[in-house]
Amino acid sequence: MKRLAIVGALVVAALAVAVYRAKLGAEETQGRIDELKAQVAEEEKSIAGLRADEAVLTRPERIGVIAQQQLGLQPASPGQYTASEALKQKLGEEKVTLPVPADTAQAQTQAQLPGIQAPGAKPQQQ
Amino acid sequence: MRSYAAPYEDVWGPRRGRIVAAALALVFVVIVGRAAYVSFNGPDRSAVPVAKAEVARRADIVDRKGELLATTITGKSLAVDPSAVWESRDVVAAIRSVFPELGEDALTAMMADRKRQFVWVKRGLTDDQAKALKATGVEGLMFVEEPQRVYPNGRLAGHFLGYTGVDGEGLEGIERIYDARLKLGGSALKLSLDASVQFVLEEELDRAFADFDMKGAAGIVVDANTGEVRAIASWPFMDPRQRGDQSDEAKTNRALNSRMELGSIYKPLTVAAALEAGVLQPTDRFDVSKPIKIGAVTVKDAHPLEHASSVSVTDILAYSSNIGSAEIAQRMGPQTQRVFLGKVGLLTGLKQDGPQWATPLLPARWDQTALATVAYGHGISVSPMAFAMTYLPFANGGEYVTPTFVEPLNAETVKRTRVMSAQTAASVLGMLRTTVTTGSGKNADAKGYEVAGKTGTAEKPGPNGYDADRNITSFAAIFPASRPQYVVLVVLDEAQPRTGVNRTAAFTSATIAGKVIARAAPLLDVRPVLEVAATKSVVEAQ
Repeated sequence: MKRLAIVGALVVAALAVAVYRAKLGAEETQGRIDELKAQVAEEEKSIAGLRADEAVLTRPERIGVIAQQQLGLQPASPGQYTASEALKQKLGEEKVTLPVPADTAQAQTQAQLPGIQAPGAKPQQQ
Repeated sequence: MRSYAAPYEDVWGPRRGRIVAAALALVFVVIVGRAAYVSFNGPDRSAVPVAKAEVARRADIVDRKGELLATTITGKSLAVDPSAVWESRDVVAAIRSVFPELGEDALTAMMADRKRQFVWVKRGLTDDQAKALKATGVEGLMFVEEPQRVYPNGRLAGHFLGYTGVDGEGLEGIERIYDARLKLGGSALKLSLDASVQFVLEEELDRAFADFDMKGAAGIVVDANTGEVRAIASWPFMDPRQRGDQSDEAKTNRALNSRMELGSIYKPLTVAAALEAGVLQPTDRFDVSKPIKIGAVTVKDAHPLEHASSVSVTDILAYSSNIGSAEIAQRMGPQTQRVFLGKVGLLTGLKQDGPQWATPLLPARWDQTALATVAYGHGISVSPMAFAMTYLPFANGGEYVTPTFVEPLNAETVKRTRVMSAQTAASVLGMLRTTVTTGSGKNADAKGYEVAGKTGTAEKPGPNGYDADRNITSFAAIFPASRPQYVVLVVLDEAQPRTGVNRTAAFTSATIAGKVIARAAPLLDVRPVLEVAATKSVVEAQ
């Protein structure tokens, strides 16, 4: 009888401890979740603020003035467009040479000159 | 001696104790378990009201490309705790050093009730204001974090967007119309507007004021095929950041809520109605050399046409002959005219959810007098938005399309109604192009964009009849004429050139419309039509 009571008491105590631990763990997890939720909310607030700042900085009336005054840009005019037919005509009439960056041009020149091998290049098979 | 054996065998004897012990143990376990549950189990979180109510963040409003037009950020508001204020004069002085517009007496009265612990003073502080107030160091001030609706693009599309009150409820414009949707939070409400085009339209209306002393203006850009409104503006502009604290002139949305007699931009509708009714051929000629009396009015032309005894239908539009328009209208009669205008949405309000336009003011009796005056845009007042939609059929092959203000475009809610044949649409469109190349619309001819359009100059009605000194000038345009994509309407209210005397639409609204088209077309990805010199052919830019 006594043994049974002791065993029962121990079981109850063990259960109580288990419940306590589970509850404590859940509380801690819940606390962490709350903390993360608060952090997410703060980040969302921050993002909303940053998006608003971005929208203020990129609004057309600001960008337009900067583009005009600092970069000399103007709204596109029909004269800046061309038709493919017109381009073909133009290419037929005159040889178009596109500008090449200086360092690229130098490397290309060295590689293309007869008898001169570009640095690091394998000898060409004839 | 009688021996008594046990009267019965006590079979439960040895077990009774165990059963009782087990029962007691069970009760004990239940009690201890419940106690443990009560001890360790915290209050149910869901049952306790959260001190800070979890209200969904009001959804953003963006343009069709995702540009932010309205958003909600966390800002600070100023409150005061009167019970914590020792010297109210210092607190009042501190508050007024940042907000001088707040009355001293009102603030003092606010501090007087020492039983109160919270009184709002000013909602929606800027960072600088909050810093300045904190720097005063006075007691009793409270800075409360709360959601604030902000409009990063300032006054851009202000009338259309509307604004919210300090508590976040939509009070005007899109903010009011879609208040329930926005309050739910979630994804942004995407408008059909294009912020860049809206900016161009507003800037050109604003610049118009530099050239013309004007009372007001409205401008609209609509996709001719889908009815999507790409820009809608009313000048003077309304700044949603001021939450309605502006003059009535600024608060009036002329594009949607004003009704105007728009004048000769109705003439293409008269021509189209007559063509559809089969009472007019594009090749017909008219004698417009003399005023004609129809009903109670005598119709005259402000500027007599050359060869007025025999002018074409195209001439009537290109040189804006009132006489010619009235003669065309006479052929079809009032009923046909009225039915046609009903088909293009000019006789009723807008029958769909979302932004609405003002219901029109129509002639009390649609008789011969109304027939003649309506033929050239008098005696009928509609909103500019309603009128802009009437030009879509000329541009899209003859279909009236209901306007769309919010994306995504819902094909089910967009109503397309055939109101004229493709042939009629093409015929009128050609006449409108001629109006711009050789007629009254020359100033609207944005190079490369083949503008087709019609001018309208209407005298404003006054107490003593129409006032020749006060005009509504308008220009309704379609571009590019060879492959129409957009309809533009510009309306100026009492535009008086600051230099010169020409105040007709040909010199006012047509000029502004041309500037809007020249700048908006590249933003709308409309490629100019270019002439290739060598072949003399016309091609579209790639």
